[in-house]
Amino acid sequence: MNSFLTRYSSTAPEADIRKAKELYGEDEDFSEVMWGSTGGFGNLASGVPMFKLPSVQDPASFLRMHTDDHADPSCRIKIKHGTTTLAFRFQGGVIVAVDSRATAGSYVASGTVKKVIEINPYLLGTMAGGAADCQYWETYLGIQCRLHELRNRERISVAAASKYLSNLVYSYKGMGLSMGTMICGWDKTGPAIFYVDSDGTRLKGDLFSVGSGSTFAYGVLDQGYRWDLTDEEAQELGRRSIYAAGHRDAFSGNTVNLYHVKQDGWKFIGNYDVSELHYNGPGDVPGAPGGGYGYDIRVAGRTSANPPEGEGQA
Amino acid sequence: MPDGSFAHPQQRQFNPYTDNGGTILAIAGADFTVIAGDTRQSEGYSIQTRYAPKVFRLTDRAVLAVNGFAADGNMFVKKVKQRLEWYRHAHAKDMPLRAIARLIQTMLYAQRFFPYYVYNILGGIEEDGSGAVYSFDPVGSYEREACRAAGAAQSLVQPFLDNQIYFKNQKAAPGTSHPTHLPLSDVLSIVIDSFTSATERHIEVGDGLEIYVVVARGRSPQGIEGIRGVQELSAQPNGDRTFILRRELKKD
Amino acid sequence: MATASVYSGPGFDFTNEVRNNFLTERGIPLPKATSTGTTIVGCLFKDGVILGADTRATEGPIVADKNCEKIHYITDNIRCCGAGTAADTEFTTALISSNMELHSLSTGRKPRVVTAMTMLKQMLFRYQGQIGAALVLGGVDVTGPQLFTIHPHGSTDKLPYVTMGSGSLAAMAVFEAQWKPNMERAEALDLVCAAVSAGIFNDLGSGSNVDACVITASHTETLRNFVKPNERVQKERSYTFRRGTTEWTKEDVRALVVEEDITHITGGRGAEEAMDTS
Repeated sequence: MNSFLTRYSSTAPEADIRKAKELYGEDEDFSEVMWGSTGGFGNLASGVPMFKLPSVQDPASFLRMHTDDHADPSCRIKIKHGTTTLAFRFQGGVIVAVDSRATAGSYVASGTVKKVIEINPYLLGTMAGGAADCQYWETYLGIQCRLHELRNRERISVAAASKYLSNLVYSYKGMGLSMGTMICGWDKTGPAIFYVDSDGTRLKGDLFSVGSGSTFAYGVLDQGYRWDLTDEEAQELGRRSIYAAGHRDAFSGNTVNLYHVKQDGWKFIGNYDVSELHYNGPGDVPGAPGGGYGYDIRVAGRTSANPPEGEGQA
Repeated sequence: MPDGSFAHPQQRQFNPYTDNGGTILAIAGADFTVIAGDTRQSEGYSIQTRYAPKVFRLTDRAVLAVNGFAADGNMFVKKVKQRLEWYRHAHAKDMPLRAIARLIQTMLYAQRFFPYYVYNILGGIEEDGSGAVYSFDPVGSYEREACRAAGAAQSLVQPFLDNQIYFKNQKAAPGTSHPTHLPLSDVLSIVIDSFTSATERHIEVGDGLEIYVVVARGRSPQGIEGIRGVQELSAQPNGDRTFILRRELKKD
Repeated sequence: MATASVYSGPGFDFTNEVRNNFLTERGIPLPKATSTGTTIVGCLFKDGVILGADTRATEGPIVADKNCEKIHYITDNIRCCGAGTAADTEFTTALISSNMELHSLSTGRKPRVVTAMTMLKQMLFRYQGQIGAALVLGGVDVTGPQLFTIHPHGSTDKLPYVTMGSGSLAAMAVFEAQWKPNMERAEALDLVCAAVSAGIFNDLGSGSNVDACVITASHTETLRNFVKPNERVQKERSYTFRRGTTEWTKEDVRALVVEEDITHITGGRGAEEAMDTS
């Protein structure tokens, strides 16, 4: 977005306008669009929202200095990170599964985060990276998708929706947004998944996993993935993959949220506690083999750490 | 002078943020919500004031607790109140709680590239009469929860709340199950104990405690009127009712 | 004489210095030492000297010890308050206490405060401030009441009333307003309490109780927890857990007493069988 570059350059004519505005004390927060029912998102429908910038040479590095907890663990504003999300396409639609942990440094800031953002009844977005960035822009995307429906009398395609988001975050490139998201849905072309991130990458694919625990999820996912999975098998694979990441990745865990997108829109399948999955499994769920996912059960009586009855108790 | 040497290049940067300590917390009940905060404001090892409220009444059914950088927090509360007043003028009613939550998200996110250094917890009563707590990060990500602590002693208080409110790591007695919502008297005791304990072990917490209680319309305030030092803030007693309860905390 | 390869010389061990500096550069900071955020004070009065200290020890913003002792023993007639890194103040004063005892044994005289002060400053200077000890040293010897402060780099001050630690400004404000020469014991003790209390209430690094120590030519009186203005309040609820609250996945009960069946074998038959086993 060129307007953002010009806003903080001190030579452009916009800078003079900005200075003039400062002089006359015009405050964007109190502009007329904020009045009444147009408050909040109301004004977003009329264009891309405006953002306050610090009056420094380089706002991006200013932001990085105060928010990036990798470079400086003692920085004040901790933005939540850490995640495992996955989505895959198969014969029966799209499976979307995510964990629910948010971490700030080594602190588990929340264990109940909704990392699947319900954009509309046919579109889901996943959340990895900055929680606020994903929540805000995917909500904003929801507004734009609805406007598209009203203007064109048909639902937006997954490709178009993801492209809209991709173009939007690309205009903020270098400003410090952090998102890694999968836009999942069902349109005229059938089930579709697009990976979109804040670098501007947009990829169409059958299978993605995003986040710090993605390597663990991919391990299980790749091993069990087939196009002709039944619905139950596919749901179990999603659940099992996020469990694996929650088990091995310190920055993922707590619970699994599972969604299934079919022709008539998405459906929430369930929420499963990771340690409950480990010890007792998902309960009486179609596709689940029964019993816990933890391997203690499978090695019981067969290893030196888990000796058979009577042995090792001399 | 060890620090006066020029062995390393020195860099100075614009730093408009500081941490003013303190802790806030909110717990939602079935038909009430408790929102609390200590009143100490500090910078480094100095106390700036022993009474700086961190919890603010927004509407008859919404209370906002703000923690982090006090200057940002006060300005933020001022702007939220202003927007709520505009809403009242335009619609002749108070903004519902979930709408306030979304408003706070957009207001925080508008400062995405120059964030307010504040952690917000919004508590109150939803339109369906249930108690609700919304917690926010500095740039506006939010979720509805049953309880949340934030601020300096978050890492001391939140595990305690997880154990006492969500019954984490507690197995129910055989044949019983944990209650989904606690009665008001239990919640108030847990809130007070959270703060007395945080005061003992965290240097930035102390001096005073302000507890706001919002009770849904037509529901019993469960004997809160009988508690020492309770003051009712609500204008009409037939709507949602707000009470405030003040306690002293240790001042060292 | 050859020494074993594991031998390390006396004093501090610097073998991890390079490694730790490297780790610090890579963004892994050293673990934080417990520091006594602290208000420590001392003042002279008519018959001697009074030392005072708060009792809070902190690790960053967390209170590590609510009632620690910051007035350390040096000799019968000398005490030393410590501020800074808790371990450094404790070990430095313990070492000097030990050396003072040996010194007084070898000279056959009562120890003097200047001796302890000199030992401390020489040690701290040698370590160039790396030993984070800020001390208030007081006592009464043949030369009369003595009061010193010793900074971590080894500099010292000799003053009639002194304060140290993060609460030093709060405490000094009280001294500057109220101290006067030749106070009576009770008056001076009240002043010390007021000075430490100023630190306790106005400095976040200081807290809990007031410890004091009154040293006169004839007697040293330790007043541990002399004032307790911050008693713990009663909690609203009791937090005892029902037996069986913690879940377990596996139960394994083992007998600690090993029982064996022993067959006693006597006479020639047993001897024969024993032979078979050889």
